[in-house]
Amino acid sequence: MALLQISEPGQSNAPHQHRYAAGIDLGTTNSLVATVRSGEAGCLPDQEGNCLLPSVVHFAADKCLVGSSAQAMQALDPLNTISSIKRLMGRGIDDVDRLGQVLPYEFVNDSQSPVPRIRTRTGEVSAVEVSSEILKQLATRASQSVGDELAGVVITVPAYFDDAQRQATRDAATLAGLNVFRLINEPTAAAVAYGLEKNAQGVYAIYDLGGGTFDISILRLNQGVFEVLASGGDSALGGDDMDHALGEWIIDQAGFTDLDSILLRQILIAARKAKQALSDTDSTEISIQHGRHQWRGRIERAQFEALILPLVKTTLKACRRVLRDANISKSDIAEIVMVGGSTRVPLVQSMVEAFFERQPMCDMDPEQVVAIGAALQADVLAGNKPDSDMLLLDVLPLSLGIETMGGLSEKIIDRNTAIPVARAQQFTTFKDGQTAMSVHVVQGERELISDCRSLARFELRGFPPMVAGAARIRVTFQVDADGLLSVTAEETTSGVVADIVVKPSYGLTDKEIETMLRASMDNAREDMEQRMLKEQQVEAWRVIEAIDSALLADGEDLLSQTEIERIMQYRNKLETSIETASNEALKQMIKALEDVSEFYVAKRMNNSIKQALAGKQIDEVSI
Amino acid sequence: MKSLDFSQNYFELFGLRPEFNLDAEHLHAQQQQLLASCHPDRFVNASDREKRLSVQMASWVNQANATLRDPVKRAAYLLQINGVEAGDESETTSDTDFLMEQIELREEIEACRSGDDALPCCDQVSLKLEHRASQLAQEFVSHFAAMDLEAARISGRKMQFIQRIQQQLSDLQFELEDS
Repeated sequence: MALLQISEPGQSNAPHQHRYAAGIDLGTTNSLVATVRSGEAGCLPDQEGNCLLPSVVHFAADKCLVGSSAQAMQALDPLNTISSIKRLMGRGIDDVDRLGQVLPYEFVNDSQSPVPRIRTRTGEVSAVEVSSEILKQLATRASQSVGDELAGVVITVPAYFDDAQRQATRDAATLAGLNVFRLINEPTAAAVAYGLEKNAQGVYAIYDLGGGTFDISILRLNQGVFEVLASGGDSALGGDDMDHALGEWIIDQAGFTDLDSILLRQILIAARKAKQALSDTDSTEISIQHGRHQWRGRIERAQFEALILPLVKTTLKACRRVLRDANISKSDIAEIVMVGGSTRVPLVQSMVEAFFERQPMCDMDPEQVVAIGAALQADVLAGNKPDSDMLLLDVLPLSLGIETMGGLSEKIIDRNTAIPVARAQQFTTFKDGQTAMSVHVVQGERELISDCRSLARFELRGFPPMVAGAARIRVTFQVDADGLLSVTAEETTSGVVADIVVKPSYGLTDKEIETMLRASMDNAREDMEQRMLKEQQVEAWRVIEAIDSALLADGEDLLSQTEIERIMQYRNKLETSIETASNEALKQMIKALEDVSEFYVAKRMNNSIKQALAGKQIDEVSI
Repeated sequence: MKSLDFSQNYFELFGLRPEFNLDAEHLHAQQQQLLASCHPDRFVNASDREKRLSVQMASWVNQANATLRDPVKRAAYLLQINGVEAGDESETTSDTDFLMEQIELREEIEACRSGDDALPCCDQVSLKLEHRASQLAQEFVSHFAAMDLEAARISGRKMQFIQRIQQQLSDLQFELEDS
C-alpha cells in the first residue's frame, strides 16, 4: 500500500520498534529521571553517577545552571539561585507572603499578572520557566543515555496538587518541548513500582513525605490494576518546613537580628544538614558564620523532634481522613509504603508505625521509587508492552465547586471521585437578552469561596438573546485522566455552543505560554514556524499510524469497501503531502482525515466496549 | 459528539438486571473491564479525536459505576429509568413520624457529642442507622417489585435522609477522633 517509509528518530511509525520514554519525578528538593531498558526500570545518573538532580536553577550572566552546580551558588548568590520552586507552581502572589520565608527571593510587584515572578539578573522568571529548565536538563540526560529522542514522558505530581498546580506542571513541560503522555500522582507511581517490581497485591497505603509536599493514598492493587480508593495530603508541607522550623530555632538560639538573604540561606542549608545528620546520630553540631553573625551550637535529636512534632501530627490527621474516605480500617491494609526523602526522619517512621500499628515498608529507595514507577508507566504508554494489562485508576484529590450567591461554593464533583469524570450543570439567564455569563470554579472542601482555591473564571459568550430565565445553559465540567479540568457550555434549546474565555486565577494564559515559547526558541535559534511544522508532521504520522492499525485490526469487519476506500483516499493524500505541505495545509488535511473517519473511530470505541462484555449475556451475569 | 452509543442505561452497560439488589463485586469487576478497553491511557498515541472520545467514554463508565455503587443513587436511578424523578433535594417529607424520627436521631448524635463516652455512643447510633438504612432499602425493593413507584420514591427519599444523617455522624466521629 505505501512506499517504504524512512522515519525520523523519535517519530517512528513502525509499531514494533522500541520507543524510548522516560518517567520524571519533578521534586521540590531533588528531581530524577528513569527509563526502562531491556525490560529493567532504573534511574539515570549524571556523569558523576548521581541519580538525584538538585531542583536548583542558577541564573548566571551568560547561562543557566541546573543541579549541583547551581546548588553550589546558592549561599553565594541566593537571589539568582532558585530552589524549591515547586512550592510556587500554580500559586499566586498572595501565597508568596505565606511562603516568603521559605523562598527568600525578590518578587516583582506587578499587579498585571496573577503569577509571581522572581527578579533575577537575566530577567524576571516564573515558576513554570524555572521548572522547565529542570525538565530540560532531565530530558537531555535521558535522551543522551538512551541515545535516542524521547517519544514521550510521564511526569509525576503530588496527588494533592490542585488543577492550577497540575496545569503549571504541564505548561513547564510544554515549554521544555516535551511530549507529556500523562501526569500521574506520585503515590500512584510508587505503588506501580512496588506492584510491578515487588509483585505487591492487596490494599496499600502510600505515605509520601517529600521536600515540600505530603500525600497519603490508599490503593487496591489487583492483577495490574492500580485503583486509588482515596487520597489526601497537604501540598505545602514537607522537609522544607522541617528545615524552616529548625532554622527558626537557630535564629532564636543565636539571637540573630537583621537577617539578609545570604544569612537566611546559610541558616536553611545548615538546618537541612543538621536534620539529615540527626537521622543517624543523637546530636549534631551547627555552625553559622556570616560577617558579624557567628554562632556555633549543638542540637539533640529530641529537641529537633519536638520542633517537627506538629508537622508529623498534621500528616497523621490526613491519614485518618483518607482512611475514612476510602472506607477502610487500618486492619484492611496489607502494607504501608514509605516514599520521599523526608520519610528517612526517624520520628516520621516511628509515628507512622504507631499510627498504622505495623512496620512501614522501605524495600525500595524512597527517593527513586516514584521516578521508577513513572518510567514503568511511560514504557507501557509508549506502546512497548502491548500485552500489558496495567491500568491506573486515579481520583480527583479535591472537590470542584462553583461560586453561587453569597460567596458560597456549590460542589459539582466531590473529592475522591474516580477520574476521568464529567458532570453537567444547568444554568439560566437572569436578564432579558443576556448573551454571556461567567462561571467561577474553585477547588477545595470548605463552604466559603474565600476558603477554597480559586481556579479560573470561565466566560461563556455567544448565547442567543432570550427573555430572562428562558435559556437552558448546560455547562459540562470535564476532568481528564491528568486531573485537569476543562469546561464546555451549550444553550440546549438552540443548540448554540458557547465561546469560552478562560481566565486562570493563578496560571499562565495560552498566550503567555506562547510568548515564552517564542522567547526560548529565539535563544535556541530555532525558528518557531519550523518547530510547529515539525510537530504537525509528527501529528500527521500519528494519525496515519492510528488509522492504519485500526483498519488492519477491524476495518473489514466494521466498514464497507466504499467506506474504506474513502478513508484511504484522505489518508494517502495526507501521507504524500507530509514532507511538502505547509503547517496550515497539514492541519487541514489531518482534520479532513479525522472528520471522514470519525464515525469509524466511534464505532470502534462502542465495539470495544461491547467486546469487553462479550459472551456475558444479562442472564448469565446477574444474580 | 453524535456518535457514541450512550443509549444504554447503566444497568445494561454493566450487563446487570435493573434491580436494586446487585452484586457489588461483579459491578466492580465489570467497571474495570470496561475501563481496560476505553481508558485514555489506551489512547495515548491515538488522534486527538479518539483521545477525546475515550475521555468521554471512561467518564461515562465512571459515572455509571458511581451511580450504581451507592444505594441511594441506585434507587433514584431505578426510578428515573422508570420515568419517575426522585425529587428535588429541598423537598421535605410530609411523613410526620419520619420527621420525628429524624429529629430524634439528630438529638442522639448531639447527645453523643456532649456525653462522656462520645465515641462508643457514636458507634451505637451508627449501628442503629445502618439497621434503619437496610430496613428502608428492603421497603424500597418490595415497593419497586410491586411497581408501586410512588411508594418506592418515598422510601428512596427516606434512604437519602438517613444517609445524610450517617454523614453527619461520620463527620462527628472524625472530629472526636481528631481532638
